[in-house]
Amino acid sequence: MNNIQPLRGEISIITRMTADTTLFTLSTKPEYEVASSFLPGQFLELSLPGVGEIPVSYCGFPSNNGTIELCIRHIGHVTNAIKSSAKGDYVGLRGPFGRGFPIDTYGGMDMLLVAGGLGIAPIRSLLLNLLFVRKRYGRIRVVYAARASRLLLFLDELLDFKKNGIIELLLAVDSLAVGEKKNPDCRIALLPALFEEMKIEPEKTFTAVCGPSVVYPRIITSLQNLGVSDDRIHISLERRMKCGIGRCGHCAIGEYLCCLDGPVFSVAELSGVEGGIA
Amino acid sequence: MLTRFISDQNLPDFMQKLRKFGGIEGPLRGEDGGVRFGNLSDGTTPDIHAIRTLLPAKKYLFAPEERLFNYTLQEGYKILLEDISPVTLFALHPCELAGINYLDRLLGGDAPDPHYAARRSQITLIGISCLPDEFCSCHISPSPLQALSDIFMNIVEGGFVVTVYSSRGKEIMEDMKDLAEERELPVPQDARRFFGVSLPLNVMSEIDTGLPEWQKLADRCLGCGACSLCCPTCACFNILEFAGLDGVSSERIRYWDNCLFKSHSMVAGGAVFNKGRAERFIYRYRHKQRGFGPLRGVPSCVGCGRCRAFCPIGLDLRVLTELLERSAV
Repeated sequence: MNNIQPLRGEISIITRMTADTTLFTLSTKPEYEVASSFLPGQFLELSLPGVGEIPVSYCGFPSNNGTIELCIRHIGHVTNAIKSSAKGDYVGLRGPFGRGFPIDTYGGMDMLLVAGGLGIAPIRSLLLNLLFVRKRYGRIRVVYAARASRLLLFLDELLDFKKNGIIELLLAVDSLAVGEKKNPDCRIALLPALFEEMKIEPEKTFTAVCGPSVVYPRIITSLQNLGVSDDRIHISLERRMKCGIGRCGHCAIGEYLCCLDGPVFSVAELSGVEGGIA
Repeated sequence: MLTRFISDQNLPDFMQKLRKFGGIEGPLRGEDGGVRFGNLSDGTTPDIHAIRTLLPAKKYLFAPEERLFNYTLQEGYKILLEDISPVTLFALHPCELAGINYLDRLLGGDAPDPHYAARRSQITLIGISCLPDEFCSCHISPSPLQALSDIFMNIVEGGFVVTVYSSRGKEIMEDMKDLAEERELPVPQDARRFFGVSLPLNVMSEIDTGLPEWQKLADRCLGCGACSLCCPTCACFNILEFAGLDGVSSERIRYWDNCLFKSHSMVAGGAVFNKGRAERFIYRYRHKQRGFGPLRGVPSCVGCGRCRAFCPIGLDLRVLTELLERSAV
């Protein structure tokens, strides 16, 4: 694995998802195909020459053709600059880094995937991994909320999966836009409301959560109320993972380093860790 | 252990001969009275009795500002490793050496940081014994860190008892035969602190962040970051990239960063994970006393006393250490 030196990748497809979010498909061939072999929940360090380097979660499926997908919201120094990148542009890649979702332990289990907003990116990566060998798992439920309908990312794809009967999908948005008709598949509610009336078998369910950290306490409480034990609630945390290899000192959570010990943690691991779950 | 004796009179000659092994840097007292590591290659006499320099020797191993990569359209990112000439760091106190041992653990190891490794490989360490002052806490900070040096000089009556710890040190001392007579001498016990004598590793139990004293100290703290800047084991870094004026090239530069600053934990969109000064205070304290990630359980305070001595408002974390120890009982 390549820890220090950014290696060549190339933007091959640009898909505008919303006004401020873009899905980039990158080709890692021929210099750094290793970057396309990862576990969902891991991240890579993406360099934009002349601008800087940032950690980004993998959003897609580990492909055998060397492509990777990154879903990027344009709100920072590097992410704003990459907005104007074009097909064929160079990007630097390091990684994959960190501990992803423990997908091996999910075999034979019901899966409850929970995403808020841009948190769908790593959750989609996990979902595509689960669907690759669908029969290995029990029920797969995806619980996904965003501020508005137009901000629900990968909606068509998720609805297709639902139509094919391979996942169950629960959607919510905070509010409707003026004049927008209510979609029968989508509730007007905050994310935790989607757990009301939900029935699960806690002893055969694992949950994977990614979203803005402010909603974690309520999501975790909801899952605990459903009977899921803390070691079966896996959440992905965000920190300033500057170097990705445990050296720069920016991403400590208690005594964990988010870039090495995380970014995916079980709630049990974070119990008693101050600042872990906001 | 075989020791040699260098008399006070022979020290200038010793320094003179040392010059042929490369540059020499050591503690110098400036006109302002402050002590800094500076160049001794021109025969300047170091202040071997100075207690502490403003900045630790980490500046030689882990540069305050360093070009890591450049980017060009043709070659992508290319690592920049400048030619580093050999340098001897002279008159390092045991705490300083222990600090370097910590940096070795953080940035060295199996997959070392290439820029750190390049500097480190050119550095010879000559330690010297010292007498702690009221700011020092090396005698009460048990640490698994070792004061590893190539040569160590114990100050005794009339000269120095010199002990050799590496082949590099041996090579140097071979050359000093006329200046340093071989003598069976007892190595003074006091200087053995950090020297393979395993002190009981007493990692502070989980830090009680609920104590009101955190906020009291944080309320006084100016957030200037001096304590981290002058700490021999503080090595947080930030990396920035600068576009060239030609519009197609760029440079990536690493800087010392500081966990007392709000920007330290800021992510895209402006979210800050350590918002309050007290939280940042706790962050640093936890790092020093208990360690993060792979260095969890390695307390990195070497007791040099800089953070106390150079704090502009004289914050003394020993108060906190005592409180925390009491609250942990």
